[in-house]
Amino acid sequence: MTKILNPDLFLSVIETNKGIIYKVANSYCKDPEDRQDLVQEIVLKLWKSFDSYDEQFKHSTWIYRIALNTAISFYRKEKSRKEIAEPFSEGLLYTADFENNKQTEESSFFLHQFIAELKELDKALMLLYLEEKSHKEMAEIIGITETNVATKIGRIKTILKYKFSQL
Amino acid sequence: MEETNFVLLWKEHYEKIDQSLAINRQLLKEVISQKTESAIQSFIRFKVRGITAAVIYLSLLGIVLFYAIAHYSSSGNYFILSIGAIFLINVKALYDYIKHLVWTNNIDYNGSITEIQQQLTKLQLSVLRHSRFMVLQFPFWTTFYLSGKWFPHSVSWGYIIFQFLLTASFTFLAYWLYKNQTMENANKKWVKTFIEGSGGKSILKAIAFYKELETFKQVS
Repeated sequence: MTKILNPDLFLSVIETNKGIIYKVANSYCKDPEDRQDLVQEIVLKLWKSFDSYDEQFKHSTWIYRIALNTAISFYRKEKSRKEIAEPFSEGLLYTADFENNKQTEESSFFLHQFIAELKELDKALMLLYLEEKSHKEMAEIIGITETNVATKIGRIKTILKYKFSQL
Repeated sequence: MEETNFVLLWKEHYEKIDQSLAINRQLLKEVISQKTESAIQSFIRFKVRGITAAVIYLSLLGIVLFYAIAHYSSSGNYFILSIGAIFLINVKALYDYIKHLVWTNNIDYNGSITEIQQQLTKLQLSVLRHSRFMVLQFPFWTTFYLSGKWFPHSVSWGYIIFQFLLTASFTFLAYWLYKNQTMENANKKWVKTFIEGSGGKSILKAIAFYKELETFKQVS
């Protein structure tokens, strides 16, 4: 009954891992208002699942699983798909004193654009790769074999390299 | 671009954001106490509106049916059988719909991406089964207005043939749609048009995603 007794623990877990939620929402949802809805939905799903959190997994693995599952489902429902994310507007998560799009380097801009163009599952894999997760952890989160992870990451990187070479 | 640069680029981009990222604790507390409506809640609310409309429709059918049975006469047999069948088909469809909605809402997202997405997509596709089942009511809409008082003995042969052809064609149409409106046929143009026309674009997306999932899981 962790969740009834420990909302403070939940808040502190979210506080520690808010970056994961931000990055997932930013990668899957481009419209600022929809993105705040997605963040809210992720937090709600995390809260509902907090009760049954299995301590054999790291908090980050648990958050990645729920956040990515929520984002992929949300993404399928999203009507408009903009290529590049607009800055986070005021809501559950926000960036204080940071003008995201104004300071973004060109390469970073294209990296985000190319990631946005990936298929939903490839995007999840790439996000975990960029977060430097081990193949084992990626396999656990995505639910495919480590060999499959390695093959797919290799293929996605080739696509990205090709796209950068075309700039 | 070197592969390590992708990671570096990503890190550099989010380093500053990570430092400035803040959480609205008040709003977070409201979310976990369910005071704030999330997208999923509004989605369910939308479905509840649909369910309410269906319940009102079923209630009306039920009242009419109850009245016909309470004041039974053999002339109302066609009406009672037809409306009874329409009523039962719609009750079954509504029951399945609510059941799947509850299942969808109760899925614990704490599982691997492929496993959970497969579960969710399968549930979404169950709507396809509902719509298939609903077409079975088509023939009964061609018989409910008949009355034992005048049919078939007081009408011309022409009318009997017309009625027979009408009911037979609706029966065939219902059977054909029921048999062919499947996931396997989802790529066919007419199935797509039919599903789209019934407001089921999300179903088509789910079918495409399901296929993508199957491909994704394979090592190639």
